[in-house]
Amino acid sequence: MKSFSLAVLLFAFIAVGCAHAPQAASTPASPAASSEPQTVLVASNSDEMPAKAPEKPAKAEKGTVNSDASMDYTEEAKEDQAPAIADPIEPFNRAMFEFNDKLYFWLLKPVAQGYKAVVPEQARVSVKNFFSNLGFPIRFVSCLLQADVSCAATEVGRFTVNTVWGIGGLMDPASSKDLNLQKQDADLGQTLGIWGVGQGFYIVWPFLGPSSARDSIDIAGEYFLYPPSYMGEIAPWYVWPIVRSYEEVNRTSLRIGDYEALKEAAIDPYLALRDAYVQYRWKKIKMKGSQIEELAPSGMRMER
Amino acid sequence: MKRLFVGLSILMILLITTAVYAGAPLETVKVNANQVLDVLRDQKLKAPSAKEMKKDKLRAIYVNMFDEVELSRRSLGNNWNKLNAAQRQEFVKLFEQVLEKAYADRILSYTNEKIEFTKESMTSDNMAEVRTKVITASKEIPIFYRVILKDGVWKVYDVIIENVSLVQNYRTQFNDILTKNTPEQLLEILRKKVKAQ
Repeated sequence: MKSFSLAVLLFAFIAVGCAHAPQAASTPASPAASSEPQTVLVASNSDEMPAKAPEKPAKAEKGTVNSDASMDYTEEAKEDQAPAIADPIEPFNRAMFEFNDKLYFWLLKPVAQGYKAVVPEQARVSVKNFFSNLGFPIRFVSCLLQADVSCAATEVGRFTVNTVWGIGGLMDPASSKDLNLQKQDADLGQTLGIWGVGQGFYIVWPFLGPSSARDSIDIAGEYFLYPPSYMGEIAPWYVWPIVRSYEEVNRTSLRIGDYEALKEAAIDPYLALRDAYVQYRWKKIKMKGSQIEELAPSGMRMER
Repeated sequence: MKRLFVGLSILMILLITTAVYAGAPLETVKVNANQVLDVLRDQKLKAPSAKEMKKDKLRAIYVNMFDEVELSRRSLGNNWNKLNAAQRQEFVKLFEQVLEKAYADRILSYTNEKIEFTKESMTSDNMAEVRTKVITASKEIPIFYRVILKDGVWKVYDVIIENVSLVQNYRTQFNDILTKNTPEQLLEILRKKVKAQ
C-alpha cells in the first residue's frame, strides 16, 4: 500500500474533548452581521465585538452548547472548498479496500511486527533511506517534466551525496542542516496534475492501495523508472517481487499503528481513506503549482 | 510636549496590538502543546494505573485548546443545519468521545518526539494557521492547527496532518452517511461506535 496512506493519518495530536467557547464575533454568516463590517471601517476586534453581540445570545457558561450551536452553518470562503473525487466504481473499490485491509492485518502487519522485533529501528530507517535513494530517477524525471530546475538539481545533489557519503544511500546526509537538500516531493501523477490533467475517478488497486485514474499512470511510469524493476534482467523473475515486498515490510514496520488509528477514528474507514488520499494529492499539486517555498524552521524547538 | 505625547501613544498602541496579535495564535497553541508534553512526561504518572488520571488531565487541556462546537459544526458542514438544537448538542458530545477514544491511546504512547513551531499566518481577522512539525526518529510530520479567535481566546477548530484536514475528512464521511440516513440515525451510528470503542 502506498505509504502515505499509513502516514497521513497520524492524528496523534487531536483527541480528547474540546472547548465550549462563548459567543464571539467570528462568522460573517448571519444576515445581520454581514451589514455590520461595512459600517465598521476600522476593523479592530474590540470594535466588532460590541457591534455583533446584540444578535447573538448571551455568553454561555462552560458546559452548554446552545448559544454556539444555534448558529447555522454557512459556506465560508475558500476554507470550505474541498477537493472531491468521483467514485463510479465504488462497489469494486470497497471490495478492494476490504481485500487490502485483510492483507494488512493478516499478512503485512504480522510480518512487519516480527521484523520490527528483530531489527533495530535505526537499521530499518537506513533501509528506508536506501530504497528512497533508489527513487531518484522518478523524482528527477518528474522535476524535469515540471520544468522545475531547482527541484531537479536538488535531487541530483541528494543522490550524489547520499550515495557517495551516505554509504550507498543508507544514510541521508543530504538532509542535514548544513546541506539542506531536502527530498523533493515529485512524482509523475503530480506532474500530470500540474499540467492540468484532472484526477479522474477513484480506484483502489489490490496490494497497491488507493489511487486515481491519473495517478495510476504514475504507478505504471514509476515501474519503468524504478531501478529494482530491472532486477528481472539480471536475476530470476521472483527476485523483484521479493525485493518490493521487503521494501513494503520495512516501510510498514516504521508505521505500524497509523492505519489502525485511521480505522479507529473513522466512521466509515473506506471514505476516510478516500478523502485523505484526495486531500493529500490535491495539496501536493497545489503546492507545487503555486510555488510555495519551503518553510524554514524559525520557531522554538521543544524537547520531549 | 503634545507631539511627544502623541508619539508615545502611537508607540503604546503599536506595542499593545503587537502583543495581542502577532504571535498570540502561536503562543496559545504552544502553551497548550507544552502542557500536553508535561503530562506525558510526568514521572509520577508513569504507572499504567495512572492512565485514567493522565487522560483526565489531557482532556482538561483540550477543553481549553479546542473549540468543540466549531469543530463539530464544520465537520458536518451544511448538514449541521439539518440537526435541531438537541441533536446538535448530542452530536458535539458524541464526536468528542469518538475522537478521544480514537486518539487518546496514541498520544499516551508517545515517546521521544520533538515539536517545532515553524510559522504562524493570519488567514483573516480572527483566524490563523499555526504550523508545527513533529520530529520522530524516523520521520517528520507537518501538523498545522487552524485557530479562531473567540472572545479574545484563540481556539483550535481544525487540525491538518500532512495536508489532510480532520474536519474535511469527517465531512466527507458524514455527508455520505446523511445522504442515506436521517440525523437521528447518524447519532445512533455514533452512539454505537462510542460504545464499541
